[in-house]
Amino acid sequence: MLLRVENLRVVYHDVISVLHGVSLGVDEGELLVIIGANGAGKTTLLRTICGMIDFYDGKVVEGDVKLEGHSIRSLHTTEILKKHRLTFVMEDRPVFWYLTVEENLLAAAHARWDNQVAQDMEEVYGYFPVLKRLREKRAGLASGGEQQMLAIGMSLMTKPRVLLLDEPSLGLAPLVTEELFQIIGRLNREKEVTVVLVEQNANAALGIGDRGYVMETGRVVLEGKASELLENEDVREFYLGSGEKERKSYRDARRYKRRKRWL
Amino acid sequence: MDILQVVFSGLLVGMVYALLGLGVVLVFKASEAFNFAVGEFLVVGAFLFFILFFDLRFPLLIALPAGLLAAGCFGALVEKLTIQPLLGRNPISMTIITLGLASLLRASVQLVFGAHSYPFVIDLPDITLELGDMLFLSEQLWASILSGLAFGLVILFLFKTRWGVAIRATSESQAKAMAYGINARVILLVVWALSGICIAIAGIMISNFGSLTYLTAMVGFRAIPVVLVGGMDSIGGALVGGLIVGLCEAFVGAYLEPMGLIGFKNIAPYILLLIVLLVRPYGLFGTIRIERV
Repeated sequence: MLLRVENLRVVYHDVISVLHGVSLGVDEGELLVIIGANGAGKTTLLRTICGMIDFYDGKVVEGDVKLEGHSIRSLHTTEILKKHRLTFVMEDRPVFWYLTVEENLLAAAHARWDNQVAQDMEEVYGYFPVLKRLREKRAGLASGGEQQMLAIGMSLMTKPRVLLLDEPSLGLAPLVTEELFQIIGRLNREKEVTVVLVEQNANAALGIGDRGYVMETGRVVLEGKASELLENEDVREFYLGSGEKERKSYRDARRYKRRKRWL
Repeated sequence: MDILQVVFSGLLVGMVYALLGLGVVLVFKASEAFNFAVGEFLVVGAFLFFILFFDLRFPLLIALPAGLLAAGCFGALVEKLTIQPLLGRNPISMTIITLGLASLLRASVQLVFGAHSYPFVIDLPDITLELGDMLFLSEQLWASILSGLAFGLVILFLFKTRWGVAIRATSESQAKAMAYGINARVILLVVWALSGICIAIAGIMISNFGSLTYLTAMVGFRAIPVVLVGGMDSIGGALVGGLIVGLCEAFVGAYLEPMGLIGFKNIAPYILLLIVLLVRPYGLFGTIRIERV
């Protein structure tokens, strides 16, 4: 296992408990998908792994995050990114609006600056040709899809070995999402980047993923191969909206009922 | 009175105000806090130089860089002690802290240096300029040249170096910058140091017009109309705001004060500020938000 999350409990502002003992593992080179409803703690999980939880006034009360057996729980984001080459791409298209596309890529390369930067930038333009056209344009003026591609391009500039992606499909058209996911799949295969993909768009994500976890209110409730999850009756019902059973009213789908069945 | 004389005198002083404004804008962009201790930064910076140059009698070419370096370290130290613990929290708290800091520093300066004024004359080469019936004093020209030079260097640093790109990125969003491995803590230290240096240069140049006391800090308040007229988050705005405030002072000093309104020069910038804020609440050059439609 490359990355291990062990029994993680995370609390915000000392009172709001968000993760109640999450454990999961990521193998080297795999594309892992985490799906779950809003408020399930997916983003918090990623923030904790990459060391940004302090910034959001959260605290790890219990548990540990291990990368290749080393605990990274108490390290700063910069150290985790530099030493362990783990990069977090936040949700909602984390690009610097008032910087040009090229400056965005340079900013992302700041932490690992060396004489390869120009070369890596060309590689990013190779994966995302649309960015090359926009290089002099302010990123805030690019479209949503272009911004998300820029965000992933920026994460590549940090030379990641592990990439945490938080809902890259947020607010994108289905066709753009498809293109984006194809590129993510290519990065995973060609550059051997281990990817942890958190998604609402369960169908598309499980389509490119190797393995998946389902999270519910701060717990992992289900895990398995991506193809198996796609076939799973509960996942189909609640995330893909195509269960075998007849459509239920919202009241029946209340969380506690689902949890009772899964746990 | 020759109107050109007034215009150019105003612009010369305005350049110094612009640098002062830049010091405030840099911090506001990066920390999102308004540094109300700007006047005290100015006095501390000027006194650090004073010690090196007048007390220890180092030559100017050593005293000036060393003094500015000390002012930069002072800015960084203040950030480390007071702002850094609040990283990621409400910027209002940081702004309030700078208010407290202002009182603390003012009292400390008074305690250490006393309340009397120190003569402050740097014997720079005399470049007094006489053009027809216009006269520009040597120290004003030096102040303007050195401030303009410093302003230009800061702009170059921000827009042409990779550290500058990282600073601008962090100024936009600390969280995003952190996620891409830019160490926001280090960047903020650099920004506050840079701001400390800018304010110190302005402080030294302003002291050079006459003398230095702990009350020189009052000039720091001039930074408020400068940045608000120009726009709190605009570097170009600091330049334009500084020049406008300089012009405003010069014109009021030349044309209104002789009518019996002694001291009106000192409040005119604030009246101007009110008018600008009524017309354009974000200042003349406040960032035009990128709106995606």
